[in-house]
Amino acid sequence: MSSIFSLTMVAETLRIAVPYACAAVAGVWAERSGIIQIGLEGILLTSAFVSVAVAVASGSAVLGLVAGVAAGAAFSLFHAVLVERARIDAVVSGIALNLLAFAGTRMSLRGLFGSASNSPSIEAFRFGPTGSRGVDLLARVLLDPVTILAVLATAATPFLLARTRLGLRTRAAGENPAAAAMSGVNVPRVRYTALLISGAICALGGVHLAFDQHRFESGMSNGRGFIALAAVVVSGWRAERAVLACLAFGALEALQIVLQDQANRSAGADLIQLLPYVATLLVLGFAAGRAAAPRGLGKHAD
Amino acid sequence: MDAPVIRLDAVTRRFGDFTAVSAAEATLSPGEIHAIVGENGAGKSTLLKLAAGVLAPSAGRVLVGDDALSPATPAEAIRRGVGMVHQHFMLVAAFTALENLMLGAEPVRSWGRLDLASAREKAQAIADRTGLQVPLDAVTETLSVGERQRLEILRVLYRGARAILLDEPTAVLSPLEADELYTTLRALADDGATIAVVTHRLDEVARFADRVTVMRRGKVVLARPYARAGAGEIRGGDLTRAIMGGEPPLPFARPAMAKDAAIVLEIKGLSLTDAGGQRRLRAVDLTVRQGEIVGIAGIEGNGQSELVRALAGLEPGATGRVAVGDRDLSRLSVRARRASLGVVLEDRHEEGLCQEATVGDNLVLGDLGDRRDGAPAFDEAAAITRRMQRFDIHPADPARLAGELSGGNQQKIVIARALDRLPRGPRSAAVLAQPTRGVDVGAAAAIHAAIGEAAASGIAVVIISADLAELRKLAHRIVVMRRGEIVQSLSPEATETEIGRAMLGQEAA
Repeated sequence: MSSIFSLTMVAETLRIAVPYACAAVAGVWAERSGIIQIGLEGILLTSAFVSVAVAVASGSAVLGLVAGVAAGAAFSLFHAVLVERARIDAVVSGIALNLLAFAGTRMSLRGLFGSASNSPSIEAFRFGPTGSRGVDLLARVLLDPVTILAVLATAATPFLLARTRLGLRTRAAGENPAAAAMSGVNVPRVRYTALLISGAICALGGVHLAFDQHRFESGMSNGRGFIALAAVVVSGWRAERAVLACLAFGALEALQIVLQDQANRSAGADLIQLLPYVATLLVLGFAAGRAAAPRGLGKHAD
Repeated sequence: MDAPVIRLDAVTRRFGDFTAVSAAEATLSPGEIHAIVGENGAGKSTLLKLAAGVLAPSAGRVLVGDDALSPATPAEAIRRGVGMVHQHFMLVAAFTALENLMLGAEPVRSWGRLDLASAREKAQAIADRTGLQVPLDAVTETLSVGERQRLEILRVLYRGARAILLDEPTAVLSPLEADELYTTLRALADDGATIAVVTHRLDEVARFADRVTVMRRGKVVLARPYARAGAGEIRGGDLTRAIMGGEPPLPFARPAMAKDAAIVLEIKGLSLTDAGGQRRLRAVDLTVRQGEIVGIAGIEGNGQSELVRALAGLEPGATGRVAVGDRDLSRLSVRARRASLGVVLEDRHEEGLCQEATVGDNLVLGDLGDRRDGAPAFDEAAAITRRMQRFDIHPADPARLAGELSGGNQQKIVIARALDRLPRGPRSAAVLAQPTRGVDVGAAAAIHAAIGEAAASGIAVVIISADLAELRKLAHRIVVMRRGEIVQSLSPEATETEIGRAMLGQEAA
């Protein structure tokens, strides 16, 4: 059991939590501005795909990262425009964009790489030692540029929301868009900005997912966007708490990996895999009804 | 900056086919409190919104100083020194007062960081000058209605407005708070500000206005200085006639009531704790006799709404006994209670009417299918006709959509439905919340007459109202609610100041 409290465990937890945390912080940005965002899953998938495709084409991981983030931001902005300008129901738009991302990445995978399951391997960022356990793994996880960017974005979010003009206006748009508009705030513009930021942060998660595997796999986001959304709700739409929830979830998943290693695919292995999901359900069950959503969530200014 | 003169020059505003304001002329001048009065739907609020750039005129011009207000937006209006305080506060409930104050006009340091210190300093300076004290660090939803209103005015001043337009500012205030508000407005006017107030309360015009504009059906019908006496100036009676376009209604005569009349409505130990663990009602005891009208006064949010909902059966968590006649209602469903207890909830738009359904359907809502063995079938057409006639609903067309009627006539529908169903005599009670809120003088008189008639027929009546004048006029007895409790019982001869003190929990001085 010593391996449960090891550096490997810490490193795995961090590595696993990054995509969840990015998507959760993205969810906080979107929903605090008043736009329901269930399209996080689609953004993870799209940005993962675009980053790999560009990295393959250009041979540059940096260009892949930039392209992935740009794609995520654009995807998110598209959602905001559909909701704010075309007045499409945000849930419908979110579902549509998720489906588009699933189908679009599969189709492009076939078109570009002639495969139904995965892209060719890419050379992502490689800093630090090469070992796969203990301090080597931890050092490599911590030195990963995408992880560092994700940590910075996550850390900056509570401050930006609480202490800046953009944050104040974002929260006003999410709490009471009519009052914000009467105060001279351009609510659609504030929401576009918030969703751009949201999409870019979520895309960091998608890029991390792909670079971590050194390739794109069909459907590789695997529900992470929805679990992140659960973390947003549990946290009461607060970024720092949502990230904590994601770390806890990452720890459970890491635990499952470590235990599975030990159990060596014994009868309990399948049950152990369920662990993180059962935990999510339990936490959601207890938190439901307590957390208060932004009161202008899903409302328009006029 | 000097306060601007705002001139409305032949201003018309249409909404689709409906003309809300038609070729209106008005001048709002610095140094004056200008009252705008009229019935519901007369166009008062629309006029104010046109002056504040919230709505753009369909024809005509709004001049601020010498130039037209263009573009007609709130942002441009505030840039020109004109600010509006809306009837429904435009505040973010989850923000602190300071955050609300600065929203849209935030002082910032580098990187877009909010400069809270300088905002606070500026706000404090204005507060000290005008006496508009608001706890700046409190979360807005924890503020009292009066504090929120001060915050709204402070916010308008914070943006540099020298003309302040207020839409029904006293509708939600207690009498003492209303007086305080006018003291503040008077100080601002004396300081050279332009003040305009839309109001329903004619006594406020008499006590505080320098000038009054009366609107009827979208037109300005009277605009003159108001003075307590003198030629060429308006006096109270003229005002009522101008508003109604005819003679004022007959005064209300409170029906006589026997001292030893039987107890009809009995409430004992009624308590309610809400989902958040807050105690909303604390063992409310109240008895109402046959033919008695009891008024409940209290500052909003002190349990009045919860009391009405609990009596109607809408709060399953309520404990305690509610009985009408000898029938115990406390375990009965909403529907079963309605046979002996008529209830009017306070928000007619949300809970009283289906705006999208016809007047006729609304009038018999909940009555269809109520057949007891041996009872004659409910005659829907006859009930609709009778209720429309008895309560004088205009236009008398059951096929119209309820949402198309004026507020006063909508309220008559709600009252008609609650009262007409009840059997006359000592086996029925009625609980009416805010029976004439936002209703014009004529409709209010009709509703008051209907309430008097119900009491005269033996029904026990409870009225909850923010309008103390209304309670003093109608009720045989006024009880005051504070923090979910009935704290005092007063005679209707008590002055508004006495009642107001009881509402605030201050001992009589």
